[in-house]
Amino acid sequence: MSVGRVRALAPADARARLARARSVLVRALVGDRLGLVCFLGTLLAVGLTWRIGVFINDNYTLANALVALADGSLVVDEAAYGSLEAPGMQVSDGQPYGRNYGQVAVAVPLLVALRAAAAVADPGLLFAAGWSLLLLAFAVQVGRLTGREPGWATAGAVAALAAFAAHAALAEPIPRRLLALAALQLGSVLATALVATTAYRLLARMHDRRVGVAAAVVTVLATPVGFWATIPKRHVTVTALVFGVVYAFYRSRAGDGDDALLSPTGFRALAYALVGLYTWVHAGEAFAVFLALAAVDLPTAPANDRRTLAVVAVAFAASLVPFVLTNVAISGDPLRPPRMLSEFGTSIGDSAFGGATGGAGGSAGGATASGGGSTPLLPSPVRAVAAVATERLALLFGPFVAGARSVVADPDSLYRTFVRAGYDGYIGGHDNDQAINLSVLESAPVLAGTAALAVTAGRRATAAVRRPDPSAVGDRLRRSVRTVRTSPAAATDALVALVAVLFTLVYLPRLPLFAQVTVRYLLPIYALAVYALARQSWVRRVFADRGRTALWSYLAGVLLGAQLIFVVVTVGSFGRGGAFQLHAVVGLGVGAAFACSAVGSALDARFDLATAVTGGLAAALGTDLLALSALVYFQYGPYVLPAVDWLADLLASA
Amino acid sequence: MPAAAVGFIPVGRSHPPMDRGRAVVYAVTGLILGVTVLSGPAIGLIDLTTPRYDMSGLGEGNVTIDGIELPSSVVLDRGYQSQSYYLTVPDARIRFVAIEGKPTVAYGIDVPALGYSRSTTHFLSDGTVGWTSLSLRQDTLSDDAVDAERYDGRLSLVLRDSDGKTVLANRTVAVEVTE
Repeated sequence: MSVGRVRALAPADARARLARARSVLVRALVGDRLGLVCFLGTLLAVGLTWRIGVFINDNYTLANALVALADGSLVVDEAAYGSLEAPGMQVSDGQPYGRNYGQVAVAVPLLVALRAAAAVADPGLLFAAGWSLLLLAFAVQVGRLTGREPGWATAGAVAALAAFAAHAALAEPIPRRLLALAALQLGSVLATALVATTAYRLLARMHDRRVGVAAAVVTVLATPVGFWATIPKRHVTVTALVFGVVYAFYRSRAGDGDDALLSPTGFRALAYALVGLYTWVHAGEAFAVFLALAAVDLPTAPANDRRTLAVVAVAFAASLVPFVLTNVAISGDPLRPPRMLSEFGTSIGDSAFGGATGGAGGSAGGATASGGGSTPLLPSPVRAVAAVATERLALLFGPFVAGARSVVADPDSLYRTFVRAGYDGYIGGHDNDQAINLSVLESAPVLAGTAALAVTAGRRATAAVRRPDPSAVGDRLRRSVRTVRTSPAAATDALVALVAVLFTLVYLPRLPLFAQVTVRYLLPIYALAVYALARQSWVRRVFADRGRTALWSYLAGVLLGAQLIFVVVTVGSFGRGGAFQLHAVVGLGVGAAFACSAVGSALDARFDLATAVTGGLAAALGTDLLALSALVYFQYGPYVLPAVDWLADLLASA
Repeated sequence: MPAAAVGFIPVGRSHPPMDRGRAVVYAVTGLILGVTVLSGPAIGLIDLTTPRYDMSGLGEGNVTIDGIELPSSVVLDRGYQSQSYYLTVPDARIRFVAIEGKPTVAYGIDVPALGYSRSTTHFLSDGTVGWTSLSLRQDTLSDDAVDAERYDGRLSLVLRDSDGKTVLANRTVAVEVTE
């Protein structure tokens, strides 16, 4: 019978097809084997810190929205977790809705998978089994990478078995009703792994694989990206999207080799499509990224012919479909995301950004305005359209203007957001009177190295001014514009800088704010700052010549430093606020030292040793903050790994 | 899953050393998945996830005590760089002669002038004897709540066992505010 013949032929063919599909998937998601190792390593590290629970009360909103969506409803009709009166719950026509639906939608298949797995495995052991298997996979991949597979595979197998045995011995039940929350967290965890692997891919292509791996590790472990990795808020998801946009943009310029999965135009379309998907998570932020992308992409693109632009436009339009459909289903207005609806119940303030709508709204509004604004003599219907357009325009660009104004008008807030946060009665009042809100530098001291960017820029500027040729300034300006147009890396730098500036401007008027912990609104900026560091030639020189010193300094800072801080906090009974301030003060001190030696290294290689030591320590302090936060300062639910749960209990009783 | 392991080992033997590593990988993968599924709800051969502390019968039992020490002062410390105050209560100590069942002891503090009250419940386990320290979790008070240099507080130890609630000890303490 024909069915029998098909069955007989299928296995070999199917296996080949499966292998091909797998290799395409691996290449699309993680790039190469080292990218896969970065991905798995991130999952392992983040898994250690994963507690299933609610960190901030608007986690309830997303978790309840996920439970509703998994049941096939956008309306959140009952609170599976906490209460519906959590911040971020939105109301349309008297019905409560969630928000950030892009993030919630990604979690639906994860929830289905978790529920299916929980049908055959005990949730209390499920994550431990998964983590142990990931450890094994990690070892096998490292083995293949280093060409010593049997040794690594055996060691990995022993380690995985030992880890699993320890977890099984200490396992406690995890309530099944936490699975939806866990699915949402899993989405964030996977996004974190994508942040790591995309950082690796971008910088490995620009420079080399070592720089790529270092950037991945620093991004996840030395900045608050790791802190927010298991917390189901949008921040890590949008960081992954921003990095995705930057990577796709770079690939659209540096079309290297025929082995690429997409053509340069395809990558360009992908960059816009990622922005389109971004609107589904947070339209306002996506608009800022859209502006930056359009502003850098259009003038620097190798070609802006009709066909290319059509491909890009179609991809962008298609990527906006989920956003538009969700909005239509909830409010009826395709460009009015849930965030722009009125909040349900009493809001406790985490509704960033009353302003901007989506990217599509932006371009449409802009086009109409330029048509209407120049024609005051037109009949009134057109004028009405122009008025609406102006209003929309004000709504869209208002946040940037307000941000720019607050830089000038309120430098104190700028200082407290980026340098020293300290204690503020108003903010503390919302955080149980604890000084647990850190500034950008306090939460990631390694970013102090960006101080040297000013030196590099200043050096170039003085070199330009000193040039004897009087026509040089204009020439140089023209030449640098040409560099941005012709050099993929320079164009990418411009994109990153513009995204960082616009993104920061949007949030500046609201900062400093309570419940930020590590200025979480600016999380993508941390990752972009690591990119900026990795792009500095002095950083790569220090890393190449003194990499071992930096690594040892980092390891000492983590292994000894974390214990030291723990002892000081415990013996001095510092409390959570005091502990955070200790991290802040030590971080600022080491950060200042790193900034000084970084400025030195940018000028002269003699400072490289000091830079390696202080840089390693600065990165270590970022890791210490997230490790101690996960194990000591914030415990709000069962850890997915029983052995870590046991360790945290032990530390709590110390 | 020993069956899977047995199935793969001969392959490993015939092509060492590469395949031996692979065999171990498959065996361990099989074992982890096997144990997870066998202990899962569908099969339920064994239950590996038991609560580390069994909460049943809590507050039931009997206890014999022959010594109690409560601290004589409590501090309300200005937190490091953080403007708020931390209420730190030193440990209380109890000397148990015998414990049966799972009685609990709640160690608490009241500061009436601050409208403040807090206690930490300790689960006693069967067979603990000798001096035992009981802690009271540190708490944060806001900057503007504290305006005096000292307050009167009251510490208490409340036992809950088969006879119901018994106040084991209480005393008035000075809550000293330090900047």
